[in-house]
Amino acid sequence: MTDIRPVLFVVGVLLSALGVAMLLPAAVDVASDDVDWRVFAVSSMVTIFVGGSLVLSMRGANDERRLGLREAFLLTVMSWTLVALFAAIPFLFSNLGLGPADAVFEAVSGITTTGSTVLSGLDRMPRGILLWRSILQWIGGIGIVVTAIALLPLLQVGGMQLFRTESSDRSDKLFPRLKQVATALVSVYLGLTTLCALSLWAAGMSLFDAVNHAMTSLATGGYSTHDASIGFFRSALIEGIIVVFMLLGGITFTVHVRALRMGPAAYVRDEQVRLFLALVAVATLSIAAWTVLTQDMAIHDAIRGALFNVVSIITTTGYASADYALWGAYSVAAFYFLTFVGGCTGSTSGGMKIFRFQVLYAVAHQQLMQLLAPHRVTVPRVQGKEIESSVAISVLGFFFFYALTFAVIALALSVFGLDPVTALSGAATAIGNVGPGLGPIIGPSGNFATLPDGAKWVLSAGMLLGRLEFVTVFVLLTRAFWRD
Amino acid sequence: MPDIRPIFFIIGLLLVILSAGMGVPALADIVTGHANWRVFAGAAGACLFIGVTLILTMRTEAARMGVRQAFLLTTVSWLVIALFGALPFALADLELSYTDAVFEAMSGITTTGATVIVGLDRAPPGILIWRAILQWLGGIGIIVMAVSVLPMLRVGGMQLFRMESSEKTEKALPRVAQVVAIISIIYVGLTMACALAYWLAGMRGFDAVAHAMTTVATGGFSTADASVGHFNSPAIEWIAVAFMLSGSLPFVLYIQAVRGNIMPLLRDSQVHTFFGIAGTAILLLASWRIMAADEAIGPAIRQVTFNLVSVMTGTGYATSDFSLWGEFALTVFFFAMFVGGCAGSTTCGLKVFRLQVLYATTTAQIGKLLQPHGVFVPHFNRKPIPESVSESVLSFFFLYVVSFGALSVGLGATGLDFLTAVSGAATAIANVGPGLGDVIGPAGTFASLPDPAKWLLSFGMLLGRLELFTVLILLTPAFWRN
Repeated sequence: MTDIRPVLFVVGVLLSALGVAMLLPAAVDVASDDVDWRVFAVSSMVTIFVGGSLVLSMRGANDERRLGLREAFLLTVMSWTLVALFAAIPFLFSNLGLGPADAVFEAVSGITTTGSTVLSGLDRMPRGILLWRSILQWIGGIGIVVTAIALLPLLQVGGMQLFRTESSDRSDKLFPRLKQVATALVSVYLGLTTLCALSLWAAGMSLFDAVNHAMTSLATGGYSTHDASIGFFRSALIEGIIVVFMLLGGITFTVHVRALRMGPAAYVRDEQVRLFLALVAVATLSIAAWTVLTQDMAIHDAIRGALFNVVSIITTTGYASADYALWGAYSVAAFYFLTFVGGCTGSTSGGMKIFRFQVLYAVAHQQLMQLLAPHRVTVPRVQGKEIESSVAISVLGFFFFYALTFAVIALALSVFGLDPVTALSGAATAIGNVGPGLGPIIGPSGNFATLPDGAKWVLSAGMLLGRLEFVTVFVLLTRAFWRD
Repeated sequence: MPDIRPIFFIIGLLLVILSAGMGVPALADIVTGHANWRVFAGAAGACLFIGVTLILTMRTEAARMGVRQAFLLTTVSWLVIALFGALPFALADLELSYTDAVFEAMSGITTTGATVIVGLDRAPPGILIWRAILQWLGGIGIIVMAVSVLPMLRVGGMQLFRMESSEKTEKALPRVAQVVAIISIIYVGLTMACALAYWLAGMRGFDAVAHAMTTVATGGFSTADASVGHFNSPAIEWIAVAFMLSGSLPFVLYIQAVRGNIMPLLRDSQVHTFFGIAGTAILLLASWRIMAADEAIGPAIRQVTFNLVSVMTGTGYATSDFSLWGEFALTVFFFAMFVGGCAGSTTCGLKVFRLQVLYATTTAQIGKLLQPHGVFVPHFNRKPIPESVSESVLSFFFLYVVSFGALSVGLGATGLDFLTAVSGAATAIANVGPGLGDVIGPAGTFASLPDPAKWLLSFGMLLGRLELFTVLILLTPAFWRN
């Protein structure tokens, strides 16, 4: 049986940190004279109390036992789920009139950096709530970067074992130890967020808006402080800045660390980053060309609109600067499939991730070549590394799980009466952690508020599944996991 | 560069067969006194001429068929038959453009069943029987391919079905040619039994034969615009269900069944899973219909069974417009399209064995996560799956999804709305027939789509029918390099 005590210890630490983070929106509410601060103060106390109790009561266990494989799986799933549940408390008790389904949806959407929202009237909302949403995404962003770089490769989830050697590889002495890696990642994340906030502020946003949008851009989250999202600002400069920082958030953070030491050449040298940027360029140009040719849009507007929204969807941020649902059939279909792509591994973005497509392509291509010459032994390669059979199957299996989960969630959503377009795009946007779906209800100019509660629970589960790369959760559902 | 002469030689042979096939609708039109027979006679003449020319000019002494030739032959022969099979549609008095004609022929030969012809009830009998013949030929064509060629080419995990004659435990039948001959006889037998059953249930002789051909081929072309719903007869619907199911089982297992040993058929895990999936979906949908729409239990079960079996096996008959059954039903039908039937049957789609291999491989994978040094071997039909087969099937799944995505986006670029584009891509690549939505749903037709969309869909049908790899490999530069 898995020893749950060290797991609860770490969860306790995380909850305490979350409780402390709740004091920030409380302070902002106090400063802007909003009674909402009490909600945050009480939520903070509850969270710190629960977290602190866990830490104190489980402390002894942590000293003698180390985290094994099972514990690591359990920890990953439990920490994300519990943090999301506790983060929902302020939403539930503030005077927004949200039920449990809504509050949990909003918190899960935040911590998984999805960005789907059930709130409307953001422009008149208490600042504490707005800041809390951004903080959740920001925490979720760094949380997934650390999970993806430090934890998932050890757990061999969905081909992530390919990245296992990066910290121990001698030819590439990035940083020898895990803690140092984490520290470096957090500093880069913090630095980029500060830079983004300053740029946005200089470009004309209010300081509050600038800080919020900086947090949700880097986290590729997509919560905004306005109902009209980035469209509210009507500024090409702001859109440009956000595009840059969304892209930075969608790039592997270890590459950022490397770039700091070796200069920008690190970006060019990374095959995944190159491919990612190439895909953004192709999608932008094709959508821009389509809208110019068929929708009579001016070239300048078309490129600006396509670039912003393509980057927003590919990096799974989910900001909108315009309702691309109105850009005609090709754009809608293209945006739909971009929902599945995602950014690079070890970034804050969701989706399938570019590196998996590289592996999938390499393996499929090798399969085709094998058909022509059955006796020749060829090994697929990605980034100069040989893809072992076990990694190939791991990635291919991930793809299957992705498709299967997508189908199950879409079916479940349709049980609650969602039409096919809403169900198919809702499922895709949830497991890809993107944000907006398609159709009049949950499209870029819509909102998830009107969905039935059951659908919201299903979507919340989908967002967590997608964020934790499916396999991490599915392992817990096997009997073998709980057997001795 | 592969030697293409033996390929054209065989295509010549196929064209001669095709021209013989065109004799049947010509006869049908003559018997009913329809002037349309001239179209078929002309088209048959053209096919015969070109076929004989190819046979005479391409005959070579050292006719060696390598892997490349086999791939090229497979794709080119289906393509050529679709192009020539389109001649009668283009020349007849149906006001079809050549695009429409190719779409219809491709939809026929790939046993898809999507149609651009409106007014079937008044169409000349020759045209109706020609559509049925195309599907029937396509059905037997794909079984023969799945039994003889695909396992050899190791397409998408089909190597699992390499003729088991070499294994001493199962002395099925020694040679491929014999197997193919017996399967053809079984196919003809099933078709005749189906026609007879339809006839006894009250169909006219002509309708019974035409529907029998498209039922066993899981094709789905009908002789009425309202499809099988036209007959409004529960007996006919249950007969159709039975024979659609019979068309979706592995035909190789029938061989032992007709020889008195029915156990392999009953014990086959692919067959079990196929019925398991169909049964679950039917139960879910029927209870949904009964609870949400207040249907009576009997008709609900019949309608759900008929339409689900029709969509899942890729037949595409309709008895009622299931788009009106509510959102849950629509989504179930959308995903059911991808499933398909068993390998070595007339169905298309992903195929049940691939889902089994996918499931077995991924669960073994999860076991491995907990015990990185443990040995987990996935099994299919009580046999271990080699890693190369797993990779092959998993890659097939990936390419399937990617092709579906690319086709959807392509259809979007021709201006189709989201639901039409996505379900059109699915229905084409899985060779089902109807899509979802107002335009191409079970009550609609593909006639109003723009021409580029029809070409894309035709390509999608071919891609899906030939199991992707066979077509995609021709698009790689390595294929044409020496």
